[in-house]
Amino acid sequence: MTTTSSWSRALTQISPYTFASIGIAISIGVSVLGAAWGIYITGSSLIGAAIKAPRITSKNLISVIFCEAVAIYGVIVAIILQTKLESVPSSQIYEPESLRAGYAIFASGIIVGFANLVCGLCVGIIGSSCALSDAQNSSLFVKILVIEIFGSALGLFGVIVSIIMSSQATWPAKSG
Amino acid sequence: MAGVIHKFLFASIAMWITPIVILYGFNHHIFPGSSELSSSSVTLISGFLAVISVNVVIVLYIVLAMKEPTNPQHQPDPSFLAAAKASINQPMSSASNSEDAVIREKTD
Repeated sequence: MTTTSSWSRALTQISPYTFASIGIAISIGVSVLGAAWGIYITGSSLIGAAIKAPRITSKNLISVIFCEAVAIYGVIVAIILQTKLESVPSSQIYEPESLRAGYAIFASGIIVGFANLVCGLCVGIIGSSCALSDAQNSSLFVKILVIEIFGSALGLFGVIVSIIMSSQATWPAKSG
Repeated sequence: MAGVIHKFLFASIAMWITPIVILYGFNHHIFPGSSELSSSSVTLISGFLAVISVNVVIVLYIVLAMKEPTNPQHQPDPSFLAAAKASINQPMSSASNSEDAVIREKTD
């Protein structure tokens, strides 16, 4: 073992389990952050606009459901990623296969977390203006719902790529 | 209004339970035919089925919510309306009493 220290040595000596666990934490933590942000933006506008136009509440809860779906995508990916964590013996922990699996889980978590963060924010702001314009003129609701469907597709892209990324995270087989 | 909240709660709970049941079923080999799949295809299939199920629940909720009958006019609350009408009638009688009292004072 040489005693030279450099950033590349420091980074490659971090256990892949660290990266994997951080990926799982980011996948659910940041997704729920985005969903909560979206729900409070749309919820406060919805309740305020429903003072003068109570008929909007039944249809505009769709915006809240879209934001909640964003949180559920984070939960799905977190459950999938935690089934991918396997123990390897400590002799194989820095094998290329192990590093690849650890980094794949980390990337998968980041992908879904940040895609859901911005998707939740987007759907929240659109949902808030949807509630306000529906209160004024109910023919505008369906048009703004179309924009909201496009917005929630962003979270869907993140989940799909993250699931594909995590499916090939295989740890080296225990070979004694 | 109660029907709205019931539908919303039911859709929310279904949106949570369905993907978790699907993931659990595939990972613990409860579904028939899921034990002979490789680990990567279990992940792919269970993940995509879970995401599709969430979207199916969303579409069902949208269909249910759009079918609600909407009242075109704002319906005022009937008890509030009754109390408002009662308060209008009361000062009219007390105002006419005070007018009579003023007229009586002037003629006296």
